[in-house]
Amino acid sequence: MLTIEHISKNLGEFILDDVSLRVEDGEYFVIIGPTGAGKTILLETIAGVYPPDSGTVVLDDRDVTFVPPRERNITMVYQDYMLFPHLTVAENIGFGLKNRKLPPDEIADKVAEVAEIFGIGHLLHRYPNTLSGGEQQRAAISRAIVLEPSILLLDEPLSALDGQTRERLRIELKRLHAAYKTTIIHITHNFEEVFSLASRVAVMHQGKVIQVGTPDEVFRHPNSAFIAEFVGVQNIFRGTCTATNGLSEITVEGTEGSHLICSSLCTGNTDVTATIRPEDIMVSCTKLESSARNSFAGTITDVADNGSMVRISVDTGLPFIAAVTRQGWQSLGVEIGDTVYLTVMAQSVHIF
Amino acid sequence: MGLVLAGFIIALLLLVATHPSPSAVIESLMTKEIQFAIYLSLVTSVISTLLCILIAVPAAYSLARYDFWGKSFVSTILDLPLALPPLVAGVGLLLFFGTTPIGDFLESIGIVFVFTPLGIIIAQFFVNMPFMLRIMRSTFTDISPRYEYVACTLGCTNLQAIWRVTLPMAINGFLAGAVITWAKGIGEFGAALMIAGATRMKTETLPISLFLNMSCGELDMAISAAIILMVISLVSLYVFEYFGGSAKF
Repeated sequence: MLTIEHISKNLGEFILDDVSLRVEDGEYFVIIGPTGAGKTILLETIAGVYPPDSGTVVLDDRDVTFVPPRERNITMVYQDYMLFPHLTVAENIGFGLKNRKLPPDEIADKVAEVAEIFGIGHLLHRYPNTLSGGEQQRAAISRAIVLEPSILLLDEPLSALDGQTRERLRIELKRLHAAYKTTIIHITHNFEEVFSLASRVAVMHQGKVIQVGTPDEVFRHPNSAFIAEFVGVQNIFRGTCTATNGLSEITVEGTEGSHLICSSLCTGNTDVTATIRPEDIMVSCTKLESSARNSFAGTITDVADNGSMVRISVDTGLPFIAAVTRQGWQSLGVEIGDTVYLTVMAQSVHIF
Repeated sequence: MGLVLAGFIIALLLLVATHPSPSAVIESLMTKEIQFAIYLSLVTSVISTLLCILIAVPAAYSLARYDFWGKSFVSTILDLPLALPPLVAGVGLLLFFGTTPIGDFLESIGIVFVFTPLGIIIAQFFVNMPFMLRIMRSTFTDISPRYEYVACTLGCTNLQAIWRVTLPMAINGFLAGAVITWAKGIGEFGAALMIAGATRMKTETLPISLFLNMSCGELDMAISAAIILMVISLVSLYVFEYFGGSAKF
């Protein structure tokens, strides 16, 4: 188990500001955040590349804050592979084993074994600059995993790869994690990687960790306007919350006076930001008779077809974006300018 | 314009190379004096190049990797000998070793720089150091420190990471720097003349030999020395370019 407490580090351009995290054994922990959020320096601090200005890093009940990287058994893979260009693939993968003074034949066996798992067994004698991006990243991951580290750090491992290779390697990472049960901390910009790999996800912004939770928690219940915007929640409304009879209503100023949105999650009488995920909005041609508290009539102003989902912009006085399946859209049989009804459950209106 | 200039350079080189008869050149090469000059040039330039490597590689590494107080000042001062006329550098060295207590002390324990081959070495070292330093600094700057980070997570100490990863990756810059430093060392005249003087068969390197023989009308001897220097420059320039030196300087 890795426990980071109140870590701060100032590298000028990049900072960590009082970061605390706990990563359980065997967890696949993903960190997301915009460029410059401090994700890489967090990983490098965990690896021990530089000591933090303050705070502690505890690995399996051992304080490793000032322990050099080689004594941590944490390995790291960067986006641009960082394979040593003067060594062959086999020598790269065996680099750490050689440092551990293993006998050459044992190194050769382990290298061959891990290379086989990643499908690069036929490339062992080649030099890195003769390999494709996907092959280089497989070699880099092999080099890190062959040491059986207690934590494997991946810094945007798939970002430099083309779409198909990225997808295949993502599946391999999932398989690898299932097979080796290694604790993995993985930085990415790609939300698909979050949903397909992460057991938990942390969002970083300006050197701070601002939310940690399962992907579902973070994407469905963002705890700040920043995360809502970053993870792509479209319907963000700011207003005042008023609690009446056990249910709360949020007054949002729209184009034609104020609108009320009901939420089961809003409590005090305060200024709030409410978000509704586009796929949580039901679209219909007639007003739905249901227990849902929120029902709005509006005009379709725009339709965007993104393949499997169709995003509909609806003006109800407030600008809503709803997402429906392609089939759902066709069965609606409406077009731009038509009036539709939007229905939202009170518990789908998230408040922060 | 470039063509005209290139033509002019080739004409000059050919003129030097074809002026004496080939037999006269061979004859000069066989004389004790030219052989001594070749020997002294080789020994001094190799030693001064080794010294440059020994000092410049670690200095360049720390300039490339670490931030420290006064870094830009140190950096500028270290480049200064590049712009300084070698004669001025030579006068400085002469005064330092000839008139200061440090020079007197070194002399008292038998290390004499003034008018000795040792002076030639120190002159070459002082004037050529910035070349090695600049090339190595830009070589190290071009190598991402992340290679070392990865090496450290794979079990290396900081020094092992430098030795096993960064230095092998810097090999081209290192060879380019070493060759150009050596070639400039062989050709060093001004600073060496000031501190070591021009004594026949004692501090007579190839450029000094060229100067001495030219002054007393021994044209064949002078031109033989010039031809050797020319060949060394051409070959070392080729090697320098082969290792991508000009991109790093």
